[in-house]
Amino acid sequence: MNVMLFGPELYYLGAALVFFLLSLKRRVEPKADYQIALALAMGGLVVTGLCLCQQGELFFKAYRVDLFSQIFKFALALAFFFVLTISHNLAHIEERYHAEFYLFLTTTTIGMMMLVSSVELLTIYVSLELSSYSLYILVPLRRGDGIDVEAGIKYLLIGAVSSGVMLFGLSYLFGATGSTYLVDILPKLPQLVASPIGLLGLLLALAGFFFKLSVFPFHFWAPDVYQGAANQVTTFIATASKAAAVALLLRLVALGAGYGYGFAQALVILSIISMTLGNLVAIIQRDFKRLLAYSSIAHAGYFLIGILTMKEAGYIAAIYYALAYLVMNFTVFMVISEVAKDGRDLKIQELAGLWRRSPLLSLSLIVGLFALAGVPPSIGFTGKLLLFTSAMSQGYFWLVLIGAVNGTISLYYYLRVIYASYFTDDPSLGPITVSTPIRVLNYALIAIVLGFGVFPDRIVELAKAAVKTVL
Amino acid sequence: MLVFNQLETYLYLALLLFAIGLYGVLARRSLIAILISVELILNAASINFMAFNRFLAPHPAVGQVIALFIMAVAAAEAAIALSIIVAVYRKLKSINIEHATELRG
Repeated sequence: MNVMLFGPELYYLGAALVFFLLSLKRRVEPKADYQIALALAMGGLVVTGLCLCQQGELFFKAYRVDLFSQIFKFALALAFFFVLTISHNLAHIEERYHAEFYLFLTTTTIGMMMLVSSVELLTIYVSLELSSYSLYILVPLRRGDGIDVEAGIKYLLIGAVSSGVMLFGLSYLFGATGSTYLVDILPKLPQLVASPIGLLGLLLALAGFFFKLSVFPFHFWAPDVYQGAANQVTTFIATASKAAAVALLLRLVALGAGYGYGFAQALVILSIISMTLGNLVAIIQRDFKRLLAYSSIAHAGYFLIGILTMKEAGYIAAIYYALAYLVMNFTVFMVISEVAKDGRDLKIQELAGLWRRSPLLSLSLIVGLFALAGVPPSIGFTGKLLLFTSAMSQGYFWLVLIGAVNGTISLYYYLRVIYASYFTDDPSLGPITVSTPIRVLNYALIAIVLGFGVFPDRIVELAKAAVKTVL
Repeated sequence: MLVFNQLETYLYLALLLFAIGLYGVLARRSLIAILISVELILNAASINFMAFNRFLAPHPAVGQVIALFIMAVAAAEAAIALSIIVAVYRKLKSINIEHATELRG
């Protein structure tokens, strides 16, 4: 076995061991621990970057390493690094738990990395649970007035039920096909969808992935968890776990490619409800993180547009949008965690006078929000353009129309946030100091969001090559 | 033919367990009861895997391996859930889900 094939996972396993040892230390040194964590996250970026072009199969073909999985592993490593860069003040997590915060963040990253490579039912289940359980622990780690454990228990119960339902569905798929390998199951899909047991199994099985992606019937957890978890944990849930879920859904759909008309129609309905519900409920939100939670429900609908086209162009668009979403959503969350330095939940009106308090952060906020809304020339606009053109070429006119209308609705509540930060002022709020590394991060994020929006070719080429390895 | 030697018997049993579990999740208000209902759902899946393995699958060990994995994962899940339930009890002095209503909107 080539070690490089399993390199990223092994590296993060080693990092988890380091954090475990740090958490055992008697003396609490959060500053030193943070430096170690940041160094390990940078090393992880290098390792996943080096392993980008690996190809092969591991563990009796239950685990496939290809360009598709490696791109997403790099994206996950990037999200991990991003979250650590804004973890320099973990105000809402007690100092003696900082090492455990890093530990569980690492194990959930490992789980997601394994998830994007899994091509076998049991492997998918175990890696999904590895990533979920670590998040269940991270959410109530916050020092709060009860909302943290409330969010934690809601997240855990809804997550446990949806993964139980998913497992029950997987058992039917296993029964109907006699195999646990996706390569054996997915070619039999047309006849599976025709039989009641196969269709039931398939729909139940998708429950678990829809939960991660917070698509319509499984979206209830998102607002509570986004608000209740510490800002850094919410950032990770909002960026990395979305990318992992999109990757897995793509693999399930791409390997099959023969789900038939009825299945695509079911996804169209879920997509439309997710977009509309998310965008309409977001309008009335006052808490910024809750607003972003509803925006993430709406974005789950956009992801589905790319997936349900069942064509190469749609998959490329979905990969591009997943990567773009990771960066632009992180840009907004970085502003949140920098403005709310004491780790509190940020109300939209608390952004008042941000242009005066920190011009750079307000610029990042505007760039991030316009990207989420899909305003050119940002990365979000290019992503939406790719998604909508791929759906349009498959004849989903109404879906694209509803998607475009939803984009306009979303612009309204994003503009409300921008209005609060540029056109209202509150003299009692003092200026915000931004450290040099965060300054550099700000410039880098703005450059990525605008740069890859204007010149998307490199990413699209990469996504195209990745889709080729999956199909 | 014996009823115990038929696939359908076990599928109906699993479906019944699954339905009871799902009902329990939706109807019960105690966190512990909800956790028990989730375990019922997982066990329903285990029974399905074992039954399909015994009667249909070409390879005789796959279903059993999966059932073993489900047991281990369910144990980990119960540990995490119970520890969070203890934390909930310390903060709210109750394990009734209806008392956890601070997050709204």
